Amino acid sequence: MTDKVLHAARELDSFAGDLPRLENALSRRIGADPENVQRGLAQLVLTVVELLRQLMERQALRRVDSGTLSEEQVERLGRTFMELDKRMEELREEFGLDEEDLNLNLGPLGNLL
Amino acid sequence: MIELYAITDHPGPPLPDVGPLNAVATEDLAAVCAPTSDGEVSPDALWRHEDVVEALMEDRDLLPVRYGTRLEDESAAVRAVAERYDELAVALDRVRGAVELSLRVLVADEPTKATRQEPATGAEYLRAKTRCGVERETAVRILHEPLSILARASLQASPRSPSELLRAAYLVDRPTVESFVGLVARLQSVHPGLRLLCTGPWPPYSFAER
Repeated sequence: MTDKVLHAARELDSFAGDLPRLENALSRRIGADPENVQRGLAQLVLTVVELLRQLMERQALRRVDSGTLSEEQVERLGRTFMELDKRMEELREEFGLDEEDLNLNLGPLGNLL
Repeated sequence: MIELYAITDHPGPPLPDVGPLNAVATEDLAAVCAPTSDGEVSPDALWRHEDVVEALMEDRDLLPVRYGTRLEDESAAVRAVAERYDELAVALDRVRGAVELSLRVLVADEPTKATRQEPATGAEYLRAKTRCGVERETAVRILHEPLSILARASLQASPRSPSELLRAAYLVDRPTVESFVGLVARLQSVHPGLRLLCTGPWPPYSFAER
């Protein structure tokens, strides 16, 4: 593998987080036992929820940038999204999904997220 | 059962000695395949697949076929290629003479999961999000845009972690690979606050379908 590294910053370790994903993804994509099917459904539902969450968060950031919100409103918005973010992470963990799994390849349109 | 490895020009140079490969021709395209026993799916088998595609890539242009693409027999391969002949011919032309290079960029002082501070307030959370967005836009401007100029095509994928600023693939003409890597090294020395990882040359997986 190292012969494929054309340029690397000082240490490679920080990039290695992806390696365990491979085995995971392989075992998940093959075989359709009931647990896998359930996880597939969870993945699809969470992808849609994540899309909505990101859209709303972007909209909120724009509103904060525009400076029309009071400090209290900004704080409330921020807290809401922080909670949502945490909840999504918990749900992902529950179903053994990565952030990357909550995405769809839309072919010529690129990725959903 | 046969496993598909790549779509190449026909006729092409002799097949590399990395297994019982056969090139099944459809007009001027060929599907490179090998007999396979079904059932065996493992990371090892995936790497073997990658080895074959990379050996083929050494001396020919190709559309890599994703690991796990299996067909009944060689006549099924002929039918599969014939059905999509126009699309495949255009795609092969698009990657002709080029390879894929991959780039990932992380911030240099990445906080580990243990030391990462949870934002204390909602406002702080939003500020952190804005900052992250700005850093990613900057990475695109100072890294992705200059590198894209050297590439025939490029595309970005969404970053996978908060410390990842950029994840991109470039379709680079074989003779340009050296100067592309040179530019990556120069960009790294100009931006010591970022960590760049450039790998390749890979079969043009990201550019085979469009």
